[in-house]
Amino acid sequence: MRLADRFRDPGDRALAILLLAPAFLLLAAIVVYPIMRLLWNSFFDLRLSGGAGPTFVGVENYVLVLQDRDFWKATAHTALITLVTVPGALLAGLGLAMLANLPFKRRWPVRLALLLPWALPMAFAGLIFAWFFHSEYGVVNDVARRFGGDGQRMWLLQPNWAFAAICLTIIWKTSSFMALILLAGLQTIPNSLYDAAEVDGASKWQQFRRITIPLLMPSIVVALVFRTIAALQTFDIPYTMTRGGPGDATQTLAMLIHKTTIEYLDVGYGSTIAVFMFVLSLFVTSPYLRRIGSSA
Amino acid sequence: MGLEAQCWKRYDGKHDIIHGMKRLALRGVLAAVLVLAGVAAGDALAQTRLRVFAGGLSHRPELIRKLFDQYHAAAPGVTIEIETGGATSELQRQYLSTVLNAKDASIDVFMIDIVNPAQYFGAGWLEPLNAYVGDPAVAMKPYLPAYAMANVIDGRIAALPAFADAMFMYYRKDLLEKHLLAEPKTWDELAAAARKIQQGEGDPNLQGLSIQGAPIEGAVCTFLLPYWSQGKELHDASGKLTLDKAAAVKGLNVWLALVDQGVIKRNVAEVKTSDTVNEFMAGQVVFAVNWGFAWDVFKKGKDSKVAGKVGVMPLPAVAGGKSATCAGGWQWAVSAFSRNKAEAARLVGFLAGPEASKFLAMEGSLLPTHRGAYADADVIKAVPWLKDAAGVLAGAHGRPVSKDYGQVSDVIRTTTSAVMARAKKPEEAVDEIAERLRRLAR
Amino acid sequence: MKTWLEGGSLRLLAAAIVVVNGFFPALWILLTSLKSEAELVSKPITYLPRDVVLQNYVEVFTHQPLIRYLINSFVVAAASTLLCLVVAGCAAYAIARLGLRRRQLILTCIVASSMFPPVTLLVPVFETMRSLNLLNTYTALVLPYTVLSLPVCTLVMTSHFQSIPKDLENAAMIDGCTRWGALWRIVVPLAAPGVFTAGVLSFVNAWDEFLLALSLNAVASMRTLPVGIAFYQGEFSFPWPVISAALVVAIVPVAVLIAIFQERVTSGFTHGALRG
Repeated sequence: MRLADRFRDPGDRALAILLLAPAFLLLAAIVVYPIMRLLWNSFFDLRLSGGAGPTFVGVENYVLVLQDRDFWKATAHTALITLVTVPGALLAGLGLAMLANLPFKRRWPVRLALLLPWALPMAFAGLIFAWFFHSEYGVVNDVARRFGGDGQRMWLLQPNWAFAAICLTIIWKTSSFMALILLAGLQTIPNSLYDAAEVDGASKWQQFRRITIPLLMPSIVVALVFRTIAALQTFDIPYTMTRGGPGDATQTLAMLIHKTTIEYLDVGYGSTIAVFMFVLSLFVTSPYLRRIGSSA
Repeated sequence: MGLEAQCWKRYDGKHDIIHGMKRLALRGVLAAVLVLAGVAAGDALAQTRLRVFAGGLSHRPELIRKLFDQYHAAAPGVTIEIETGGATSELQRQYLSTVLNAKDASIDVFMIDIVNPAQYFGAGWLEPLNAYVGDPAVAMKPYLPAYAMANVIDGRIAALPAFADAMFMYYRKDLLEKHLLAEPKTWDELAAAARKIQQGEGDPNLQGLSIQGAPIEGAVCTFLLPYWSQGKELHDASGKLTLDKAAAVKGLNVWLALVDQGVIKRNVAEVKTSDTVNEFMAGQVVFAVNWGFAWDVFKKGKDSKVAGKVGVMPLPAVAGGKSATCAGGWQWAVSAFSRNKAEAARLVGFLAGPEASKFLAMEGSLLPTHRGAYADADVIKAVPWLKDAAGVLAGAHGRPVSKDYGQVSDVIRTTTSAVMARAKKPEEAVDEIAERLRRLAR
Repeated sequence: MKTWLEGGSLRLLAAAIVVVNGFFPALWILLTSLKSEAELVSKPITYLPRDVVLQNYVEVFTHQPLIRYLINSFVVAAASTLLCLVVAGCAAYAIARLGLRRRQLILTCIVASSMFPPVTLLVPVFETMRSLNLLNTYTALVLPYTVLSLPVCTLVMTSHFQSIPKDLENAAMIDGCTRWGALWRIVVPLAAPGVFTAGVLSFVNAWDEFLLALSLNAVASMRTLPVGIAFYQGEFSFPWPVISAALVVAIVPVAVLIAIFQERVTSGFTHGALRG
């Protein structure tokens, strides 16, 4: 009898353990082992192509990474992509979410248009946009030509334009992600607040600034955290669009790790770069995380 | 005391005998079961299951399946399954990289690109075949030289050739005849011929020459073709990786000059193998550098506008140099983690043998790696262009044989593509390549 | 939310932008799937196909078991989404409502697991699945995908749970519900948009994933969609028309699902509870 009672209404502490256990079990099974292995490998010179086993080198890998020009270039590219696409996707997503929330007569085209970029797997989105930006067969140059431009630009062959094309594609794909999170947030704002503000004589812009943004802030923060983490790990789209080219002008950290581990078979060094990426992600997102965790 | 117990007590001796008989019977049954199990297990053991990893379409799984059926007919105890893990060599490398890294024993044989044996063998993923096929000097003799070189690492046979490939120069025979031009023997002659045709035809979309400048594996060949043509190699006599910087710069400038003259189109760094094939097929290209598979595509492709108008010849040479081409093709290897190594090696020996080579050539127009096949009358009758191909293949160069080929390929193809995109100067690119090779040679 | 753009025409323009933005690539893929490969190298480029070629769709189904790939992707994505929602929902409630002292750390730990690039997970997860004899099964992908989406879902749902006023729960508990009861009867329904959002995010993450699917479920009958579609290409060929046809076949069911569900979530079934 008492046990059943406790089961029906477990104390807070027991409940906490019960609720958190599944998550941590799954994490332990799938993620903890790889992370431990990663950390372990980063202290070894483990190059599979050598055939020899791992040699302990302490922090030598870390020192080498810090001196590696390719690492810093890739970090710079990754940082730039993050700085451009995160706010970009946020703004685009916000606009899309608000538009999707408007009372149209028929809402489904707008809603569907919002969510369709999702149905297209990342890798193929990259390939399609690479085609759009192709200098000969691409839609972008074709449209430019029809509007009187010269339509000769080789978008993906020039470092800056390739970068722009990649950022645009990422924003296109991820603004729907943002829009969805923000839309869910927008819908929890009761209409009564706007009605009251309208009655008080507030303008649309003031309503936006004083009601929408503050109430949407939690959703915005969540969206930002994940978009940032994902942006720091950008791989699919630059990989399929330019393979990191021309040269290595659009190579990101995730691409460098992929190349080092899969093509160079240098597991030790690749693991070290991954550790750096983790530290960077943690550093960049911890202020946001603190905000979410504390605002209970 | 119950009746039974009394019974037993009275017949204690019998009890023992019965008990003993029971025990004997039990043992007998057990023994019989064991024997039967042993027979069954023996049967199972005699029935080996080999799993062969071959990628997508380009490996012609339908032809390979037929070869496996032939082998099975001759050796009924072996069943062979094909496993596919990625349609392109890049995806396959991704897959194999994960699986072999985890020392997976589920694959026995795999088909790898010509550039992979050194790297995979260095990683300890391939079983050396010396014990099964004999001394390399003898075992590799029937094959074309490039394959003997690519598959033997430090005196150990890492893989055996499946079928061959090389880069050929395809050209529009009809256009050359129309403008009364002979087959060009040097790149300068080719440039002149191309320009004459381009001007003569008056079609702004007509490309003189199509090569691959995208950062794909083929770009390594694009870099090496004029380099080799000057008589240089990417390794010195001892096998160490070296680079003749001046020759490399000169080679890259050959291509850049052709772009400047309008013979090669400006966005050559966007051109992949399939682009060259599609554009040539649509009649937009005069000269095209491409692999052997393109011949059938041009001749029999359903949208081909150039069927019957295509010629094939060896690649032109740099002025004062020799014609050189890049060897391609696929190899069979036995996994170092396989549990059926002997059986797998026997299969590989068959697959790399002269009959299999002949079969693949006649059924699939796949270029054979056996020298003898090129002189075989049946084969030539089935695949007439083999006569032209033979000369080209005999002189084909293999790409650098290095356990770090991944890095070598990466630096060469990305810098070459950057040079083609005019994002890097040839001198810069060559310095980068030289620096990377130097680091690897350490 | 009130309309904030004056004039219907401006609104329509904005809507048009959104629609073009979302539909154009999908439309391009559809049109390409009706062309022949030769048409793709014609200059100037064509938009509408010169001659409609339906052969591509035939090839799509005969060349590869595309329906099988679709089913696999759906099963894996749906299963991992459901599992993720349950697990993340529980964790999110614990973090948002139970006033745990270390909730900051717990949340950070969960989110931190997503800060490693998937390529680093490949070999260890492969080894784990192999030792459990789970390779080439649905489970092999469902478990990692659940973990991959766990951080997002937890964070989204935590944030939504936090925005639901505690008073509602307290009122319910005064009325006799246990905490457990309050969770299921009050909080979850109110957090429905958050749950739905987390669900869609999780579904699409699983749908998109390529690397793990390539290595863990390599057998043809168990492949997922992105890996399967990659098989239409050859070493030297990338047949856009056929691949476009495959993408169309892949996108249509998802688009239909979205069209059905988007009405559900936006029909305002949250407003009822809040009005009181």
